Amino acid sequence: MFVSDEDLMVKCGKGDMSAFELLVRRYQNPLINYIHRSIDDYQRAEDLSQETFLRVFKSANRYEPTASFKSWLYTIATNLCRNEIRDRTRRNTYFFEDMVEEGEDVYHADIMRDTRYLPDLLLEKKEQRQIIRKALAQLPENQRAALTLVTYQDLRYEDVAKILGCSVGAVKTLIHRARQKMRKLLIKAGIAE
Amino acid sequence: MRKYTQTEFPDVHGSTCEAQFVSPTELSAYIDKELPAWKRHLIRRHLKKCATCANQVQRLQHTDDFLRRSGEIKVPADFLSGVMEHVSAATKYQRPYDSLWSLITYRIGSSFGWTRYTSTLTDRLRYSIRTRSPVYIFVLTFAVFTMVGATLYQSSSDRFGPAMHALKKTQKLDGEKLISFEVIQHEPPKRLLTTYLQQK
Repeated sequence: MFVSDEDLMVKCGKGDMSAFELLVRRYQNPLINYIHRSIDDYQRAEDLSQETFLRVFKSANRYEPTASFKSWLYTIATNLCRNEIRDRTRRNTYFFEDMVEEGEDVYHADIMRDTRYLPDLLLEKKEQRQIIRKALAQLPENQRAALTLVTYQDLRYEDVAKILGCSVGAVKTLIHRARQKMRKLLIKAGIAE
Repeated sequence: MRKYTQTEFPDVHGSTCEAQFVSPTELSAYIDKELPAWKRHLIRRHLKKCATCANQVQRLQHTDDFLRRSGEIKVPADFLSGVMEHVSAATKYQRPYDSLWSLITYRIGSSFGWTRYTSTLTDRLRYSIRTRSPVYIFVLTFAVFTMVGATLYQSSSDRFGPAMHALKKTQKLDGEKLISFEVIQHEPPKRLLTTYLQQK
């Protein structure tokens, strides 16, 4: 029997640890990927994902089942990402150019075991992924968050508007501008026509 | 549907829709299936006729496909255990209350079995503000109206108060004058008559 996220959160609020564990299992993969795409740093993405789940657990007793759990979770994650980017800007540190792609390596090692791909094709794919990720990192913060939430997390515009704290119309504009800019960047990088 | 001017229709390649029927923002929303059914139907019909818009949609979809190719990173094997460790460490030192007021509400709530009262008053207030609960909005509106009303009442009494007092005073004085005038009016004819008789 499928138990909804909201029911699990209510159980979690009553101190049910197994319900919380099930929630972590459900969302650990999309959440760590979302944070990784937002801040582009694998180690910090892992830390921030853990922090997000910890905050969810701490405020479980305040959770009202009327609000969607998914939106709530991504709101916490988005706020943490914003803080991280702000701190990074304050420290004047940029990870995008010379970062260690540990997450990329994990994925790459996984593909290498698959013999269906030729080495050249694999390298090309890896390069393509890096270009896309770098292009995504070049987008303004709000545009990147909106595009990531819609494209990768399959969230509705309404939920994205709640998470980013703006109107649905603003989300529409953000996503369209993000797509236009991504297209320009990909054309510039030579992987799109 | 609203028609858009050419300046509102930016395009990477500089081409514009001749009919100016759909805005590019709506085309993006069309790809994400975020438009109402009637609008989607209209756009679908328009796309069959307009090559520029169809091309635009194709390009947007192409970008989306590229984005999806960026791949996903794998979660480390010890991630779940790490989270659960953090959580158990947090619950070990976590108190159900953090102030005297929340301790009292917690005790009362737990004795009656009201789980809602385990959260503190500030948390509940913050939640009410965030969710814009009707009770909170009513209380806030009432408070604002009362404050505005009290301020206006006070200022009006300040402004018109002395004038009103002065008016009442003059009314009293007029009454007094009138009474004395009546007394004077009755007496003189007698005096006049006697003086006239005396003179004669």
